[in-house]
Amino acid sequence: MTRWLLPGFLFVGALATLILIVGPALYAISLSFYEQQSLTADPIWVGLNNYATVLGSAEFWNALGNGFFYAGVAILLQVVLGIGFALLLHQSFRGRTLLRGLAFLPYLLPTVVAVLTFKWMIDGSLGIVTILVDDLGLPPIYWFETESAAMMSVILVSVWLWTPFVTTTFLAGLQTVPVQLYEAARVDGAGPIRRFFHVTLPMLRPILTVIILLRGVWMFNKFDIIWLTTGGGPLGATEHLPVLAYRQAFTLFDIGNGAATATLSFLVLMVIVTLYFWLFPMDEKK
Amino acid sequence: MSQAADAKRLAGRASLYFGALVIAVYSAFPIYWMIASSFRPAREMLTNPSLIPHTITFDNYHNLLAQTDYLRQFANSSIVALSTVLLTMVLSIMIAYGVTRQRMRGKQIIISGMLYAYMFPPLLLAIPLFSMLNSIGLTDTLFSLVISHLTITMPLGVWFLWGFFKTMPFELEEAAMVDGCSRLGAFLRVVLPLSVPGLVTVAIFAFLLSWTDYTFALVMIGSDANKTVPLGLASMVGAFDLRWGDIMAGSTLIALPLFVAFIALSRYFVQGLTAGAVKG
Amino acid sequence: MRDFRKSKRLLSRRQTLKGLGAAGVGLGLSSFPAPAVKAQSGGPIRFLNTETGRETLAFFDRIAQEYEELTGTEVIVDSVPLSESFTKITNGIRAGTPYDIGTVGFIGHVLLLADEGHIVPVNELTDAHQWGNKILFPLDGQVFWYPFDYNLSVIYYRKDVYEENGLSVPTTWDEFVANSEASVAGRRRGSLFPIGSNGATNWMSFAFMWAEGVELFDDEWNVLLDNDEMAPKAAAYLDMMARLYETMPPGALQASYADVLSNMVAGTLTHGPYAGRVLEAAHRDNPEVAAQLDIMPYMDSAGEQTAVSHGYDGWIVMNTDNLGPAMEFMRWMTNERMIDFLHTTPVHFQPARLDIYDNERWRDNPMIQQYGHVLEMNRRFITDDSVILTSIDTQGPAPDVRPGKIFESFVLPEMLQNKILRDMDSAEAVAQAAARMREVIA
Repeated sequence: MTRWLLPGFLFVGALATLILIVGPALYAISLSFYEQQSLTADPIWVGLNNYATVLGSAEFWNALGNGFFYAGVAILLQVVLGIGFALLLHQSFRGRTLLRGLAFLPYLLPTVVAVLTFKWMIDGSLGIVTILVDDLGLPPIYWFETESAAMMSVILVSVWLWTPFVTTTFLAGLQTVPVQLYEAARVDGAGPIRRFFHVTLPMLRPILTVIILLRGVWMFNKFDIIWLTTGGGPLGATEHLPVLAYRQAFTLFDIGNGAATATLSFLVLMVIVTLYFWLFPMDEKK
Repeated sequence: MSQAADAKRLAGRASLYFGALVIAVYSAFPIYWMIASSFRPAREMLTNPSLIPHTITFDNYHNLLAQTDYLRQFANSSIVALSTVLLTMVLSIMIAYGVTRQRMRGKQIIISGMLYAYMFPPLLLAIPLFSMLNSIGLTDTLFSLVISHLTITMPLGVWFLWGFFKTMPFELEEAAMVDGCSRLGAFLRVVLPLSVPGLVTVAIFAFLLSWTDYTFALVMIGSDANKTVPLGLASMVGAFDLRWGDIMAGSTLIALPLFVAFIALSRYFVQGLTAGAVKG
Repeated sequence: MRDFRKSKRLLSRRQTLKGLGAAGVGLGLSSFPAPAVKAQSGGPIRFLNTETGRETLAFFDRIAQEYEELTGTEVIVDSVPLSESFTKITNGIRAGTPYDIGTVGFIGHVLLLADEGHIVPVNELTDAHQWGNKILFPLDGQVFWYPFDYNLSVIYYRKDVYEENGLSVPTTWDEFVANSEASVAGRRRGSLFPIGSNGATNWMSFAFMWAEGVELFDDEWNVLLDNDEMAPKAAAYLDMMARLYETMPPGALQASYADVLSNMVAGTLTHGPYAGRVLEAAHRDNPEVAAQLDIMPYMDSAGEQTAVSHGYDGWIVMNTDNLGPAMEFMRWMTNERMIDFLHTTPVHFQPARLDIYDNERWRDNPMIQQYGHVLEMNRRFITDDSVILTSIDTQGPAPDVRPGKIFESFVLPEMLQNKILRDMDSAEAVAQAAARMREVIA
């Protein structure tokens, strides 16, 4: 029994992984080598043709660039804002526990709900934001009607929704930093800013490494928020790889190209994550 | 104590509270607005949206419950989310524990493999999953949804718990085994209880993911009887008529159980984040 | 009863990538065998409904029960938004659990299903009636659906605002733009026509162009948009829309049906396109505005022609083993309960069957009496041959999937965005759109 427990666990795990992930993933990748010619013909093997088509299209490169921009800016803002919030929430003041709870709430909302609420708040005539802006005598805000504004709006919703993850994780980390370290730094004459950069950040570097990795992967693959907010528009300005793949597979009914795009997106992410592991090894403590 | 120092401290406190206020408004106002809108009469929403509703009405909730089979959808969502949590826990505990304690080559590969699995675009998995489940007659069942959700929650769970088990000294189990426990006994009686914060974290993530999922549900579920809450809300919204009050009522009802669960479990959650995954 | 083996053979021959792909999620992808169609005979009739209004849902609950008491046949009604209906129908076919009756809002989908033998002609139900213009879309004399309503997109305007500003109903583009400009005041904007890449733009923003006489295809399905006759008209349309955009509230790019609707109902617009649902919603939420709404068709630049944008919904009967009972149910519902059905959304469900307009019971509805002027005007739009009745998906010499592809690839909305967001030269935007159309239907 004792001898077989671990191998047993691993066997069940391997089986589950095979059925749930490896199988479907390989199947999905295999679709990228086929093309459907007509309504009635069987799909035909076209080798790397779909990849050639996708890589030769301006849409793909546009989507790749948008994806980097969106994920990059969204993560940067989440981390900066999250750390700022965490530092504040680490102070002691009345109502701190309540505020810590409030600051986490956005993270609990389904994307659909967050997007609907956002759209309701910025509705061009009836939204509370529109009305407040008008009451202040300011010109109306066109949230989606230039290519850069649309991207910023999507990023804004993403940052609102997912910053709490960074805030809460970082805050939890802050609580593990020994107070003595700060005191020692204070005795050495370090101000709050120096203390942050010389004590807090180095201590929390492992946490940050993981946060950025997890959030980065998530943002790069996040489909529903862009799909529900802008659908990738206007004119492709917010279309990133997952939206492009979805559009190809499910609205243009071109499964082959959709699968090729998604596979390429996976490869790009794999390269980046491998690089990231190499730059910031996870097991530095060992 | 000098007056200058006093003033400085006061200014410090004031800016602290100001910062706290900013965070509170920023985080909570949209949620407040969602809830407030759900209790507002349609007319007031359209013509006079003041910050605090003048009159409170339950009409939006009545409409919502009349138009959607909310109770059944709620039950469906609960079944799916709880089953997903359960299976995620069982599978990811087994894998993570096995990988942590088994002496073998290439452990790192399995763990990074899990991370790569997490990187696989979820939407791309939906297509083959539908075909595979269809071939064994399982589409349009709640079970098909559980399976789909597992493709995301399991890798994440393994990844989290691996970080957690890794930091747990092996001596604890050894001591228990010296005392006559079997390996399984040591695992159940020593390791698991110590891992509660990590387990709760994984459970919450799995629950959140499953409860809020729309994409997989859209692909897998066909009949009204098997719809989950997000799918039901989306069906009601449609594209043609927009009753913001009803939509906000539906949104509130989806979010509410999550808020309640969070309040009940937040202590574990924060502990889990500290002690487990994030230590890498 | 249809030959069961035939439908089975049809299905298995067609389990192909494309078939699945065309049907949406999960359709054809598989190298896995699709299960055979289950014998449904004697089982309940499965009805896929897409009208999700509260009254309509209650109607289906009620008649399902009635029908079971009457005949002993159970009817199960599932409801999904229209945008999901085709995916549901095709997934059902794939999964071997097809619906017996479905609802569709896109003639291209009817054609695809008819072409693959999944639906049967319903002439036995439709032949007995007179119908409005361009609604049955017969293929070789066979009618494959039972259209129950028109959803024409027309222009709603506020009579009170017109009076306050001394405006009269416009007959040319210049007058329309001028009226929009003149009626901007405070939070009220002149108009809202969607310009984003969505169905709402496709349906509600191009009828100005149809009124101007633009056609997308000739009889051979060649693209006409950039020829000598059409190109200047389309460019002039773009110039007009750019002027109109200045009178719109923020959000035209995101706007869908619902946004136009809620803005009209809230009274924050003077003009907005839509079908009868505007009146239903305004009547419910803001009756003062509802009392001030009237409609006009889209007009051309010279005041010579008018157009309305074509929209419709209908029921299809699927080629399942339950075909006989399903057809009987349809006969019963369309004969005995049609008026009750239409009354669930009295103004928006504008009848496609002409006899209904003179039906006393139908007319006797309070909403229909109150907004009779609008329904009468709409009746003229579907019977008067001088009113151009068309839409992107019904362009071309015959029902076909090609205009459907133009619709779904959002070529024309992108043309609008190129003009309005990117400030592209109108002629160039038209040329680009024409080139893109040729790619799409190639």
